[in-house]
Amino acid sequence: MKNYKQHSDFESGLKPLWLRAQSGNELAYQEALRLIAGRLRSYFRRHLMNLPDEVEDLVQETLLALHLHRDSYDPTQPVSAWVLGISRHKLMDLYRRRGRREALHEPIDGLEDDLAAEEPGETLAKRDLRSLLEELPRAQRIAIEMTKLEGLSLTQASKRTGVSESAIKVQVHRGLKRLAALVRKEPK
Amino acid sequence: MKTDTLIEMLARQAGPAPDFPVGRHLAAAASLGLLASSVLALALIGPLPAAVFYTAAPWIKLVYAVLLLVGTSALAARLSRPVSSTVMARAAVTSVFLLMLLAGAVTLITTPEGGRWSALLGQTWWICPWMLMMLSLPALTAILWAMRSLAPTRLKQAGFAAGLVAGVLGAMGYSLACPETSVAFVAIWYSMGIALTGWVGQWLGPKVLRW
Repeated sequence: MKNYKQHSDFESGLKPLWLRAQSGNELAYQEALRLIAGRLRSYFRRHLMNLPDEVEDLVQETLLALHLHRDSYDPTQPVSAWVLGISRHKLMDLYRRRGRREALHEPIDGLEDDLAAEEPGETLAKRDLRSLLEELPRAQRIAIEMTKLEGLSLTQASKRTGVSESAIKVQVHRGLKRLAALVRKEPK
Repeated sequence: MKTDTLIEMLARQAGPAPDFPVGRHLAAAASLGLLASSVLALALIGPLPAAVFYTAAPWIKLVYAVLLLVGTSALAARLSRPVSSTVMARAAVTSVFLLMLLAGAVTLITTPEGGRWSALLGQTWWICPWMLMMLSLPALTAILWAMRSLAPTRLKQAGFAAGLVAGVLGAMGYSLACPETSVAFVAIWYSMGIALTGWVGQWLGPKVLRW
């Protein structure tokens, strides 16, 4: 019962933020991702008892996946269910990559498997996304650095590089997709 | 990079979320798959004589396939993203299948006793499901490929649904070349071929739909 209440609190806090984020509100998006990151951390911590070092990496990988697939969110569904679907998928993917026995059991919707729990603080990620960015093709890396790290607007970035705004947007998206693929491939 | 920095980076100038291109991607893959199964059927087996298309036989198969396509593609679309419910789509697929089975049973009962076995088995029962599955493989490849670009998280089910859609497209192609004429035959052996393709998809799903 306590879990259920926490869970619905989580959803009712997250949903309005998420809907604003989906329609393009940057601050709402940040805040929503922070809320989600906290839940992911405790969710993965519970499921990776033997691999505590993997938790923060998986949180980052999942956030990247949520961002790249945010078009797949259906507003008639709870955001927390959508997040949980993708997080579970990421957890299974990690198990499979590790060839672990857990991979044989596809998770079923169960009570223990929800996003409701206290939030442990951020730990250090083992994998550094910043240095992985260096491995991207030049155009993608530059597009990401300018718009996503330096915070230039698309117009400014377009002026500086002489590339059209829509091309920059495409490069950013492709770059993040490539980054997500690198994250999955990276041997540790 | 710290997680909080990543969050800032992801949110910065993210803009509104784009539309989910599920219909576009699946429709493109299905069209390719249908083209492939038709061309393969015509090239490998050869077209039926034109006169056959003035009889009911090929149309029974095509109508069955079109009705199944509605439910199976809805199922595949729903399994291409997390969470969405599959109850209605599954009910649609199952009811079309059961109706076809019923129609097959009725025609079989009204067939004179001596002709029932040949109505059920035709000339080609042993090859039909396999041929149908083989004709579906390009469609299966295309649909799994399209699904990978979306966001499936229930991989076995998604693979199975992709396989069913592919099987239905294979059935459409095969109906241009298949000489069988009885409803009971289609109800059993076409459904078997479609299910086989579904199982191939279910086996492939967790392997190829990872992201």
